[in-house]
Amino acid sequence: MLAYIATRVGRAIFTISLVLTFSFTILAATGDPALLIMSVDAPPEAIEAFRERYGLDASVWQQYIGYLGNLLQGNFGQSLRDGRDAWDVVVERIPLTLALTVPAFLLKIGIGIPAGIYAALHRNSFLDRLVMMISVAGYTVPSFVLGLILILVFAVNLGVLPSGGQDTWRHAILPIVTLGTAGAAIIARYTRSAMLEVLGQPYIRTARAKGVPWPKAVRRHALPNAAIPTLTVVGLMVGSLIAGAVVVESVFSWPGVGRLLISAVANRDLMIVQAILLLVAVCMVTSNLLVDIAYGLIDPRLRGRSGSRKT
Amino acid sequence: MPSDLQQRRDAEPRPLPESITHRRSAVRRFFDAWPPMVLMAIAWLTLMLIIALAADYIRPYDFKALDLRGRLQPPVFMGGSWRHILGSDELGRDVLSRLIESIRVSLLIALASTLIAAVVGVLLGFAAAHFRGIVEQLVQVLIDLQASMPFLIIALAVLAFFGNSLMLFVLLMGLHGWERIARISRGLAISANEQGYASAVRDLGAGPWRIYGRHILPNIAATLIVSMTLNFPEVILLESGLSFLGLGVQPPLTSLGNMVGYGREYMQTAAWILLAPAVVIIVTTLSVSILGDWLRDRLDPTLR
Repeated sequence: MLAYIATRVGRAIFTISLVLTFSFTILAATGDPALLIMSVDAPPEAIEAFRERYGLDASVWQQYIGYLGNLLQGNFGQSLRDGRDAWDVVVERIPLTLALTVPAFLLKIGIGIPAGIYAALHRNSFLDRLVMMISVAGYTVPSFVLGLILILVFAVNLGVLPSGGQDTWRHAILPIVTLGTAGAAIIARYTRSAMLEVLGQPYIRTARAKGVPWPKAVRRHALPNAAIPTLTVVGLMVGSLIAGAVVVESVFSWPGVGRLLISAVANRDLMIVQAILLLVAVCMVTSNLLVDIAYGLIDPRLRGRSGSRKT
Repeated sequence: MPSDLQQRRDAEPRPLPESITHRRSAVRRFFDAWPPMVLMAIAWLTLMLIIALAADYIRPYDFKALDLRGRLQPPVFMGGSWRHILGSDELGRDVLSRLIESIRVSLLIALASTLIAAVVGVLLGFAAAHFRGIVEQLVQVLIDLQASMPFLIIALAVLAFFGNSLMLFVLLMGLHGWERIARISRGLAISANEQGYASAVRDLGAGPWRIYGRHILPNIAATLIVSMTLNFPEVILLESGLSFLGLGVQPPLTSLGNMVGYGREYMQTAAWILLAPAVVIIVTTLSVSILGDWLRDRLDPTLR
């Protein structure tokens, strides 16, 4: 088990270092941020001063080493726009994003898993088909369209909920519903197919044959086994708590990390983009790692394997 | 009339003529093989394809033509005139013409990107299967890296770093989903290499390009096509999402997401500007998904 965890941790660290190198490389390859930020007719002295201020006049290697050193000290550079610390700018947005994504996450699980289990246990029933139909719709309706439709219905026509902003808890309802719907659809689909596969296994038949009542067979034998693939999807969703609301935040003018990212991309505020990129990478890799470790704990067969997990 | 009722109740159901029962079962057999949903999906996608190919000939106006006196005209079914069947937007541009052009742009981007992803994925997957060792490790690392990040974030980062141009945007969209195809083609190529036909042509002296291109690729094409149908709607959603945010296709060019994004500001007064492209996005992605599911069931029972 220790070796298993060590391999996984090693992989995770390696992935993060790749993301770091990737972001540094394209940062260095994009040309001169000074020319992007300063106006075209800025005097050369001003551009020089700008470069010096942001350490853009050193060689690539010096910049890379300095870059890693800075990151290790928690220094993610400054926002090119207002000179504030990029990390601070990002961190102050995190609670706002979590205020949307955490309830949405609970909503996804609370609806998706029971719906998926129900659909699998009542395969081909009317409700099963309904659940699957809704879940296909949840897949194919883009979140910005769903969000706009909700705004059109509840804010414009009915006037019962605000269409954007973040002043009260009522502002959070529509974004949370938008985020939750798509996720619930995905979880329901995964849960259903995982359950169906498990229910077709010989050990369920064996359990039934030796007289285990159906509800108990489902509870004791089917559910724990179906939990494994479902856990993967849920785990990946934990990783996207920070990054999963980019579009929805923009639709509802919610000033979270996602909206910050969009405006940073539009303004080419590279330090902010990079801080968010690294933050998301760490979240994703960590949650992947935790899912892997949980896998190892739940399913001892996987510990011996060191190959990559199939998702 | 009780006697009448009695008579009716007692009446034997007349046996259907042979030809009708026969035809009926033929119809049933046809719909079993081609479910109505699938037929509708195919019909819709064919329509989209025709629109995309014939965009220049069928759109009533130039999609950039302004008509400042005819701004924000409602569509026909909301009391508008037949001059603008789907209404006009805030600059008096014909929504139908813009929709047609948007379908073409979005579809082209999705097609091109899916093809790029397929080519990259198959090449890397085959390279991993052929060379094994360090090359395979490298490909695996790339796959893991790509799979570990939400693609939207990668795309946004690249757009921030490199700015936006249509060429770059298409290439970027082409990076989406290659890892899934690479993973599949690597696995399939490895198992194909162990089968008789691959070693037979190898023993006959065929080079790797021939073995992979002429023998293995056709044998695994069904599975690859199915995974491409997974990729296609995702690219449409991604492209329309980025364009909606103003970071994808740039004006004066238009795309479905782009139209939704700009129509959003007129949502309260002129909802038709954004509803038409939104419906097209939804129905198209839905159609590809239905078609993909069906193909998967038919072509490849091993995939779930």
